[in-house]
Amino acid sequence: MNAWLTQHAQALGLVLRRFKTNKLSTLLICLAIGVTLALPSILYAVLDSVNGLANNVKSESQISVFLALNHDEDAIASIKTALEKNTAIKNFKFVSKDDALSQLQAADANNDMLNSLEKNPLPDAFFIEPSKLDAESIESLKKDLSRMNGVEEVIVDGAWIKRLNYLLLLGKKAMLIIASLLAFALATVIGNTIRMQIVTQQAEIELSRLIGATKSFIRRPFLYAGALYGLIGGLFALIITCVVIMLFNQSLTPLATEYQTNFSLKLPNLFTWGATCFLALAVGLASAYLAMSKSLFKSIH
Amino acid sequence: MITFDNVTKRYPDSHEALTGVSFTIEQGEMVYVTGHSGAGKSTLLKLMAAIERPTSGTVLINNQNVSKLKEATLPYVRRKFGLIFQDHKLLYDRNCYHNVALPLAINDITGAEAGKRIRAALDKVGLLDKEKAMPITLSGGEQQRLAIARAVVSRPSILIADEPTGNLDRNYAADILQLFNAFQQVGVTVIIATHDALGNANQQNKVLHLNQGKLANTEAVT
Repeated sequence: MNAWLTQHAQALGLVLRRFKTNKLSTLLICLAIGVTLALPSILYAVLDSVNGLANNVKSESQISVFLALNHDEDAIASIKTALEKNTAIKNFKFVSKDDALSQLQAADANNDMLNSLEKNPLPDAFFIEPSKLDAESIESLKKDLSRMNGVEEVIVDGAWIKRLNYLLLLGKKAMLIIASLLAFALATVIGNTIRMQIVTQQAEIELSRLIGATKSFIRRPFLYAGALYGLIGGLFALIITCVVIMLFNQSLTPLATEYQTNFSLKLPNLFTWGATCFLALAVGLASAYLAMSKSLFKSIH
Repeated sequence: MITFDNVTKRYPDSHEALTGVSFTIEQGEMVYVTGHSGAGKSTLLKLMAAIERPTSGTVLINNQNVSKLKEATLPYVRRKFGLIFQDHKLLYDRNCYHNVALPLAINDITGAEAGKRIRAALDKVGLLDKEKAMPITLSGGEQQRLAIARAVVSRPSILIADEPTGNLDRNYAADILQLFNAFQQVGVTVIIATHDALGNANQQNKVLHLNQGKLANTEAVT
């Protein structure tokens, strides 16, 4: 255990010393990794925030139930009782056809067409706020409602939310694809950097092999270097993401106020920090490992 | 300690570097390997240090058969040797102290214990005051001595030197040989490959003379 710790401390120390002697190039490599990772990270933050917004909007979604013009008098009362009993309904509002007409006239007082009407063409209507918002329960509620006596038409005011959700799904897919492509780019950058370092350290590697170093002794510092490049790059990416989001939010706040919401993009939370750092570290480690298995031991024997 | 039995080494380009070589080296001996360049001296040393494996025959190091050892255990066999290379193989990106530190790092010796041993090794070869100097600033003789310090720092029981005096003038060469004698006197087996005459071998030393990959004679020089 003690020897094991010594070996790892030694390798880590060596890598940190090398980083220190090559400060500028280390910084540039980590920045390159950070910029690469910042792109999917910002995209994720935007999608996550818009997703939250969409969830908010959903709760305002309504179902409109229009009654037939020639329904019998009892229909309204019986529908009312049915709606009150239905647990899938949070609350509802009845608007009679007379109310609807007067609302319409009030909104557009000079409309001659409305005034010239002999008969009120508007139906009686119920506006329902469902308690469950997922597509399935709304669909089944809609079915129940349309089966009721005297109901002419049931309209769910949520088609655009559906579309938004599809768009969000598309966005998430795009983010995943971009992230995987960039992870590949990242692996190439780190792999090449490690390969360059192997070439630079060729004399030391060769000598170490000759005087009895094991393969893992030689590999260890390079693995640490790859992992550290990933980790530091990941931290840079998160910092870049935070700065960009704060800049976005500066412009978003007045816009959101215009729409009377307090929408803003969310900064990465603890989980996002952890996940990004972990993934970046893993990619760094894996690409260093691959770079070595290909190029490190060929030249020795 | 080291036993060669009918050892042949053939390289992939098909020329035979060594043919049917047999000999034994005992603990504490001083052995010279002589012969023209290309006679197979370096190959012999590489086989002894478990850097190469024989094409046929057996190489026993401390009763371990090198050809039968797994690849993964070879590094541990190599650690028994202190190697001094023809081209020194010093690392020019670090100072003398850190050059000598490398074999200790490989043996997982670090910190204060390593510092003590490194300074002792540098002191032995007379370079204690050059601890912080970069190898490139040292003279040829000093570089050779630094290479020796690196070879002895992990206290190996066998010291193998390939042409250690090859590029040095007479005075320096005598210094170096004296160093080797000193190590032999404390019980270290010393094996030296050299192409030049044995002017400085003034003791009873074993000589392995190679001629075109064959052992010509094993004799004691008086």
